[in-house]
Amino acid sequence: MEIFFQQLVNSLSVASVTILIGMGITLIFGLAGIVNFAHGEFLMVGGMATWFLVSAGINFFIAVLGAMILVGFLGFVAERGLFRFTLERPMNGFIMSIGLSVILQHVVIRLFNEVQKTIPDPIGQVWVVHGVDIIVMRAIVIAITAIVVAITYFCISRSRYGLALTASIADPDTAALMGIPVRRYVTGVFIYGSVLAGLGGALMIALFPITPFTGSVVIIRGFAVSLIGGLGNVGGAVVGGLLLGLVDGLSAGYGFPEWTDAYSLVLMIAILIVRPQGLLGGTLGPKAS
Amino acid sequence: MSLLQVQNLSTAYGPIMVNREVSLIVNDQEIVTILGPNGAGKSTLLRSISGLLRPKKGAIRFNDRNVTGAPADRMASMGVVMVPEGRHIFPDLTVQQNLRLGAYCRTDHNAIEQDIALMESYFNVLAAKKHAKGSALSGGQQQMLAIARGLMARPRILLLDEPSLGLSPILVKEVQSVIADLRSKFSAAVLLVEQNAGLALSVAERGYFLQHGRIVGSGTISELKDHALIHEIYLGQHSRPKSVRPSAT
Ligand SMILES: Nc1ncnc2c1ncn2[C@@H]1O[C@H](COP(=O)(O)OP(=O)(O)OP(=O)(O)O)[C@@H](O)[C@H]1O
Ligand SMILES: [Mg+2]
Repeated sequence: MEIFFQQLVNSLSVASVTILIGMGITLIFGLAGIVNFAHGEFLMVGGMATWFLVSAGINFFIAVLGAMILVGFLGFVAERGLFRFTLERPMNGFIMSIGLSVILQHVVIRLFNEVQKTIPDPIGQVWVVHGVDIIVMRAIVIAITAIVVAITYFCISRSRYGLALTASIADPDTAALMGIPVRRYVTGVFIYGSVLAGLGGALMIALFPITPFTGSVVIIRGFAVSLIGGLGNVGGAVVGGLLLGLVDGLSAGYGFPEWTDAYSLVLMIAILIVRPQGLLGGTLGPKAS
Repeated sequence: MSLLQVQNLSTAYGPIMVNREVSLIVNDQEIVTILGPNGAGKSTLLRSISGLLRPKKGAIRFNDRNVTGAPADRMASMGVVMVPEGRHIFPDLTVQQNLRLGAYCRTDHNAIEQDIALMESYFNVLAAKKHAKGSALSGGQQQMLAIARGLMARPRILLLDEPSLGLSPILVKEVQSVIADLRSKFSAAVLLVEQNAGLALSVAERGYFLQHGRIVGSGTISELKDHALIHEIYLGQHSRPKSVRPSAT
């Protein structure tokens, strides 16, 4: 039982990073139809920025903010400078984003090197609850993610901006007829998704080492999560992330750890065959014309 | 000075020219109709006025300002609001949410709430179904919602694209009385595209004939009724009825 509880906390903290990246992917694809394959590299850049700042002696939590701002800006530049021009041709945007992901990897290798980076545990404490060791940093990662999910969900389902965003996802032309500046929402969502990737990277490096190639692993899981939940559906990304996180954690503890990735991808394939629109249902993004 | 002036507007989809050199005006609080056969380019014209399509040539002036090429969201915020063909209700949002979106550009929150109540009293079905999803409404109810949603913006001019499409005769009568009331109740001008010439001629004051993308005739309603083209365009209509397209949902 203690082991189970420990596994649970561990899986939830891993799931947190997956949820953060899945939420960004689901929003960006759901609204703009942009498949940003470089989203994983955005996370990696966030992690590297955190490592750089922490190594320079800056407080971890301030470094997290720095990483979020940096990656948010990166998202802004990518959207305005690249993806804006491929909205009509999503396939071009997809190929371009693959190029962008390689470029970002190489820029990071150039700036630093390809060796994995770690930071010391920012909290460095362990709680003992009923004989179970809980690493405090992991609990904090879970809490931060829960707060971000709650805020995002609340804004989307309760605010006027969320309503306009939902309408823009469902039918951009009609939304524009209501006076909704759909393009600006696309930019805003792209930046927000990027900020979440920056946060995900910063939290990830507090738990695990990061290499310049971390992004390419993370992106697959991010897409799996958003597809499982239903593209464009934030609640779906949370459910998908939890599901994958738990399958990962529990298979690592009780099954064959080396098959972890296979389990989650088999799960994704099974769900998509039974429910092509994802568990909670989502848009398929703007139709390619 | 007229409210809306369209001058020599040409619009194309890729290389295919649809509207050629179209000119028309709509005065403040006037109801004007555009008549024309299937594929004449009526929807294309409304889409280019509303900003969904960028015209290739020509100019659009609204309120004596040049608004050529302005995107749809800017046109809407200036008061040029289109109710598109096929209604395009947001199917997963409730009736109230659909109405609220119509008022996106407005910031007068109390007045918005009052207008929602006004729409619900004016279109009874909307009150009864305010928490129902858009997709749960019948075609006629969706049309009422689409018009009400357009009115929530408090437009200076409402562009209506085939509001009677696919409706039963009783509902067509209802739409007709709603349009006829728009000026007195909402002080909006209307640019109405209709296949149902009976409806259009009964509510509008002036009109234009559009054929192969060009304006081929115009005048007051009584002039239009005597126009040779009205027979050419509409008399054959019963033998060649427009297929009823499924609604947005
Ligand atoms: N998105 C599009 N891409 C290419 N061609 C289009 C597009 N939409 C319409 N057309 C073509 O433009 C012409 C005019 O279409 P439009 O919808 O404006 O006509 P309409 O007068 O509104 O007809 P209807 O009475 O059927 O609604 C038609 O020949 C149509 O096939
Ligand atoms: Mg049409």
